[in-house]
Amino acid sequence: MDDALRALLLAAADDELVIGHRHSEWTGHAPHIEEDVAFSSIAQDEIGHAAALYGLVAEMEGSDPDAIALGRKPEDYRHAILCERPNRDWGYTLARHWLYDTAEDVRLEALSESSHDGLRAVATKLRREERYHLLHADMWIERVARGPVDGRTRLIDSLTHAFPEAIALFEPLESEHEALERGLLPVPSDELRKRYVERAARALDELGLPTEVGAGADAAAEFIASSSGDLIESDDGADPEPAGRAFGGRSGNRSEDFQPLWEEMTATYRENPGASW
Amino acid sequence: MVTRVAPDEAQVWEALRGVMDPEIPAVSVVDMGMIRDVRVDPDRIAVTVLPTFSGCPAVAEIQDDVRRAVEAVPGAREVEVRLSFDPPWTTDRITEEGRRRLKEFGLAPPTGTGPVLVTSIGLPAAARCPFCDSADTVAESPFGPTPCRAVYYCKSCRNPFEQFKPV
Repeated sequence: MDDALRALLLAAADDELVIGHRHSEWTGHAPHIEEDVAFSSIAQDEIGHAAALYGLVAEMEGSDPDAIALGRKPEDYRHAILCERPNRDWGYTLARHWLYDTAEDVRLEALSESSHDGLRAVATKLRREERYHLLHADMWIERVARGPVDGRTRLIDSLTHAFPEAIALFEPLESEHEALERGLLPVPSDELRKRYVERAARALDELGLPTEVGAGADAAAEFIASSSGDLIESDDGADPEPAGRAFGGRSGNRSEDFQPLWEEMTATYRENPGASW
Repeated sequence: MVTRVAPDEAQVWEALRGVMDPEIPAVSVVDMGMIRDVRVDPDRIAVTVLPTFSGCPAVAEIQDDVRRAVEAVPGAREVEVRLSFDPPWTTDRITEEGRRRLKEFGLAPPTGTGPVLVTSIGLPAAARCPFCDSADTVAESPFGPTPCRAVYYCKSCRNPFEQFKPV
């Protein structure tokens, strides 16, 4: 069993699967028809990307990609908690979409140089498709940021809330040291996180969004950097750190939002595991 | 006594020209540029398929269709159909014939080489209407009914149309 490779692949694949599931919840409900189609299509892409990554895990283990995607217990998933948050409103959906796809571009850029042939090829392929997601997210953030005050306010609230959680997309991975040594992950999570915060903060600044948006993110980045992968155990009932519950996704920490999502996402699979459709 | 003759590679390619993309039944997998290579050994034929969009649900069906078509080639025994992302499939791989057929099918062929030509509004500015050939078109949405299609509107013949998205 190659733990380092498995952790790297599952982190990326679980992010894609879970956020893809959230995006798919807009099917039939988005504010207008073009966005209904857009979010459905992005959801389909993300779940397809997850499938390609699970395919690499399955190839390595000689197992079934569907069983990896849908046959695990909730605590065995390794996505960032950001991905499992409910869609809330359109403002939050757009804020998260932008934060996530910007982060994904940073991650895929690095993985396109992985020493693992299969992962390098998949990352290169996915990045070309992800351009469309990024363009869509950029277009929306700009439109809302420069638009009427109500939308702008909601966007700012959502970004302020979600940005610290997005930082946790770059939490150090389990067995990261080995992944780095072998070049599977060519750039440390720490460095990717810095690139991400810089890039996102610059973009928000260009749109004239207030600095509070980035302040929470900086605090989160420091928190993660200082905890160096040894994250939150459990919460003792006290109020968590600013967005404190948002950390630890890479080591299996889940928020209360995941259980209902997991139940729905895996319901059909659990009914008859291994069935072919 | 009948001696089995292993098929030659040309016969396999010929069979593959009969396998259509189920979502775009006018264009074969060969013209889509989805066949990376074909290897014919005395007892075994191996075909490597490059999936178009990685979220495309038609890929599994295409894989089955490719297998069936190659198995039907006289002399074929064991057939292996593999998927690969290396190199990544890009719209550059669609042949001239493929582009002509896409247009005939009512789907504007991809322009350019993808992301480089994508403008800040999200899509290449220059999709040509497959119905009236006008370049006076506007991008409506980079997302359409399938992962590979974007939606445009032709200001000249006033038809909405779809373009195969450049990647």
